Amino acid sequence: MAGALTLAPAIALLPFVAFLVALLGGRYAENALPRGGALYGIAATAGSLLLSAWVFLAVSVGTTTTEHVWTWVAGAGLPFDLSFGVLVDPLSALMVVIVSGVSLLVHVFSLGYMNAEGETGLPRYYAGLGLFTASMLAFALSSNLFEAFVFFELVGFCSWWLIGFWFREPGPASAAKKAFLVTRFGDYFLLVGVVGVLGTFGSAAFAGSEAFPTLAAAALEPGGEAVRTFGFDAGTWFTILALLILGGVVGKSAQFPLQTWLPDAMEGPTPVSALIHAATMVAAGVYLVARIYGFYALSPTALTVVALLGGFTALFAATMALVKREIKQVLAYSTISQYGYIMLGLGSGGYVAGVFHLLTHATFKALLFLGAGAVIVAMHHDEDMWKMGGLKSRMPTVYWAFLAGSLALAGIVPFAGFWSKDAVLYHALTVGLGGQPLVLLAYAFGLVAVFFTAFYTFRMVFLTFHGEPRSETAREATAADANMRYPVAVLGVLATVVGIANVDTLRGIVGDRVLFLERWLNGSLPAVAGGTAEHYHELVVDVAGFHQAAVSPLLAAGVTLVVALLGLGLAWTWYNVPEPTERTDALGPAKTVLYNNYYQDEFQTWLADGVARPFGRAVDVFDASVVDGVVDGVSTGSLAASKRLRRVQTGVVTTYASQLVTGLVVLLLVVLLWRWF
Amino acid sequence: MVPLQYYLLLSAALFCVGVFGVLARRNALVFLMSVELMLNAANVVFVAASAQYGEVDGQVFSLFVMALAAAEVAVGIGVVLALYRNFKDVDVTKATTMRW
Repeated sequence: MAGALTLAPAIALLPFVAFLVALLGGRYAENALPRGGALYGIAATAGSLLLSAWVFLAVSVGTTTTEHVWTWVAGAGLPFDLSFGVLVDPLSALMVVIVSGVSLLVHVFSLGYMNAEGETGLPRYYAGLGLFTASMLAFALSSNLFEAFVFFELVGFCSWWLIGFWFREPGPASAAKKAFLVTRFGDYFLLVGVVGVLGTFGSAAFAGSEAFPTLAAAALEPGGEAVRTFGFDAGTWFTILALLILGGVVGKSAQFPLQTWLPDAMEGPTPVSALIHAATMVAAGVYLVARIYGFYALSPTALTVVALLGGFTALFAATMALVKREIKQVLAYSTISQYGYIMLGLGSGGYVAGVFHLLTHATFKALLFLGAGAVIVAMHHDEDMWKMGGLKSRMPTVYWAFLAGSLALAGIVPFAGFWSKDAVLYHALTVGLGGQPLVLLAYAFGLVAVFFTAFYTFRMVFLTFHGEPRSETAREATAADANMRYPVAVLGVLATVVGIANVDTLRGIVGDRVLFLERWLNGSLPAVAGGTAEHYHELVVDVAGFHQAAVSPLLAAGVTLVVALLGLGLAWTWYNVPEPTERTDALGPAKTVLYNNYYQDEFQTWLADGVARPFGRAVDVFDASVVDGVVDGVSTGSLAASKRLRRVQTGVVTTYASQLVTGLVVLLLVVLLWRWF
Repeated sequence: MVPLQYYLLLSAALFCVGVFGVLARRNALVFLMSVELMLNAANVVFVAASAQYGEVDGQVFSLFVMALAAAEVAVGIGVVLALYRNFKDVDVTKATTMRW
């Protein structure tokens, strides 16, 4: 099976070829692109999926590799080299399967959403999807932090490209710019972190003998080999580096306070929202944390920050989702909230739990977005849930799949989200009770957010599919195309069953053998030493000092489930009626605050307009008056001086001679006087 | 034997006459003569020092200075000629076109 791993780079190259074909074909040979290039994209992503599955199988029999592909910068005098490579281990194999799978379904779905709707500029659309898929897969397979950074930026660029697909309208154009700028802001920190890692360890590799998490762990041991820590204590410096890298994670995974771009990104085509802004690109951030988990596990501070940030974001975003009118806005906030859970899981030491929730969330959120896309097409691009209603009988396939996804999102047993969210919360609870009050606080945030999640999810389901149609379009809605139905149905089945990958909650009852994901993530070989879930757990316990208190998993799961059912029940009583009303009006002014996202957009605009702009203007004034003044003064002074001085150039040779003689005499006098005194 | 100081005084006097000529006169040809005077002031010192210390170096150098002076006159006359062609005069204060 080792042959599969040599083909690993092709996983990322296939969509890249599709990108080139769509881009060049769209420019020079439109006729050579049936369906706007969709077929090439589908073929390429299907190929990637097959290769990924093959690689997945190869890894499952215990083959892993970290391989060097290309050196960009290297030299004898350099303390490090910048290179590109491929790392195939359980985590990356899992990720490429998720990414290529979702990408394939999104390509197929796009046939119905984009082609059937008569969009123009389709080669541009499919080129963007291809480049995105290629860079995301390459990111997942990156073998070092520098390479990961390059592809991290590329996926951000593709996000800009695809959000702004309808660039002639002001909304998408501005949303694309916002998404790019906000994530870039986080990426500045990441860039500094990458440079810091290279400067500290001289290597940014994820795995192998030179892996920087391994070097960091060695440096922390008494008598370990010292690394350059720029005057800080080693532990402090590693925490600083981890938090810098976290900056990029917060931007890409839309965590507080950089989450404002994600809801706006819903201006893009819905398949793009499903692919980029739910299942894959936003996953890049948390994937990066999981990738270098061995580094985070060394610092209790960094872990606590990750957990607290995640827990807070989970609750914060969930409250905003309560009052939204547009179906995609609810999903956008739930995405932010769910990535908060993943961060909470990772931050509280639950590596497996975090990766598990990443997997299940990718499935059910892609499903919900594609389902919402089908609804939006049926509603002729009206996204207001208050104009829907009663779609259940008109689009049954989409309804049942959407319901499965919603149950998974709300965390109702036995759907996928229940198992993973419970694993995350269980980890946060036990670590919190084990002497980490801040993690316990994060758990409390997460638990309250479970209630809100169940409520807003089923508010969305009931408003969209139940009751009486509330508009003419909803009355006349027809079932979705096969191109849209099949991806939704496939994901619907997956969202129902993918939870059995790791029934952590039933650990004591069913035995460890069925914890497939945990065994999967443990299955590393010496080639990628230090990358196993078991090893991470040891680090979290021994180095970071996160101990788990003994709590019955079933009890914790029961609490979570009851809270979720309460939220569901409230949504049921309020909205599962023929003529629902806006019950959230009871919140009064709080609703306005929530509806306006706590005025964060206004705050950020104020930051730009009220702080950055005056500051820039002041700097400009300083530049124009002081800096330019000095430069101009020097030139004006020398001009004026030379205007006078040039008078000595009389053109009369006698003058020059007398000047020479005078100079000579003065020199002689000086030398003589010097000698004499 | 005449002491060296006298030669030095003679040389300084000759040199000053030359300098005065360069600074005060306007005729380019007189310029050349004044320069000749200064060169010869140097020659006097060379020869006197040579006699004083019994070395031939100074005399050799004075021969070099003479050759130099001849070359200088050759160039100088050319310059004077060009001056005359351009300004119809050999008055150096008239040639003031290369000024600010």
